Amino acid sequence: MQNVVTVKEPQSSVNLALVYALVAAAVVGSYTGQLSTAAGIESIVTNHYDFWACLGLALAGWIFRSVGGHKGVIVTMTVLASFIILTLSQPMLLRYLTFAALLFSMGLYGMVQSRNAVRVLLSIELMLNAVNINLIAFSRYVDPVALKGQLFVIFVLTVAAAEAAVGLAVVLAIYRSRQTVDMDKFTLLKW
Amino acid sequence: MGQDLLPPLLSAPGVETWAFYILTTLSICLAIAVLADRVVIRSGFILIGVFGTISGIFLLLSAQFLALAQIMIYAVGITLMVVIALMLTNPRLEREQAVVYYDENLPPLAKIFASCKRNLSLWVSVLSFVTLYSALIGENHWPLSDQPVSPDAVKVLGEALVTNYSIPFEFSSVLLLAALMGAVMLAKGESKNRDDDNVAIVDEAKKQENNLALQR
Repeated sequence: MQNVVTVKEPQSSVNLALVYALVAAAVVGSYTGQLSTAAGIESIVTNHYDFWACLGLALAGWIFRSVGGHKGVIVTMTVLASFIILTLSQPMLLRYLTFAALLFSMGLYGMVQSRNAVRVLLSIELMLNAVNINLIAFSRYVDPVALKGQLFVIFVLTVAAAEAAVGLAVVLAIYRSRQTVDMDKFTLLKW
Repeated sequence: MGQDLLPPLLSAPGVETWAFYILTTLSICLAIAVLADRVVIRSGFILIGVFGTISGIFLLLSAQFLALAQIMIYAVGITLMVVIALMLTNPRLEREQAVVYYDENLPPLAKIFASCKRNLSLWVSVLSFVTLYSALIGENHWPLSDQPVSPDAVKVLGEALVTNYSIPFEFSSVLLLAALMGAVMLAKGESKNRDDDNVAIVDEAKKQENNLALQR
């Protein structure tokens, strides 16, 4: 037991989180300032500086984390700043699609990473919502008269309700036989 | 009329962009909280906030009917079911255990490798986002239409549901019925056998008690 080292949040974590928030705000601010000049937009769109800005933000976040910043603040600021940088120069449809892609990949991460089976279901609901945003954005900007996208969203809502009911019933049945909802302990199909 | 209030408000310059960024900021923060919160029931309640902001985004896209349907089905129905399932599977509403990593004593390079291996799903999801985003910005021939959304969208939807899309509509009702019956069957399951066993055990205990009393 002496080998186990518990990781403690250092005393200065709040200040470091504040510093990181300032760094992220400065990156976003300089990016938007660049956007106001006509040549800035062209150079950013053609050279894809936005990817590099996001990569730099993630790197800075990693450094701040290893020095001892608060993890949640750093992750949230990185995701938000990257999202704003990636979408600010895009037309409206692409902004919605990028937001849906972000929600979808966050749901994917939660679905694979979570250890609680109910949280896996929550993540699946997030992914279904991302798909709904995609469909409604397309029906708004591509097909605003026939509204086929909204029709598909109605069917997706139906299937999501059915999926949630069956999924939660399966979780309940597994809990009854295993007395746990930990994903690591569901080894029924292992051989 | 409340219905006619939304389009002129959205057509004002800058309103849609500002509302979009406010709603998405809220929604991303809440979604991160859903994934990161150690108390699962709290993340279930935060999910209501995510669904609420997403229904605000549906309003921005002038899909009023679906915004209200989203609140009704997701924010109330599905979240309620999730919370009830949480209460049934985790009766004391305990926090999830924090995972303890044992790579403190490793050399630095091995520590980096260990963290990469541990966060493999993070890399996969970041990669999927990058792939989706580069596919989106690589495509620049969206057949965009300049027309506004038809003001009687609910009428269009209703007509389409009972004419062109009537067969999928009927099938979805059958699917819902089957899913609900299956859910009831799964959730009820084998409780009857256990009740029989319990009755047998209780009878046995009573019989033994009677025997003891008779022996005295």
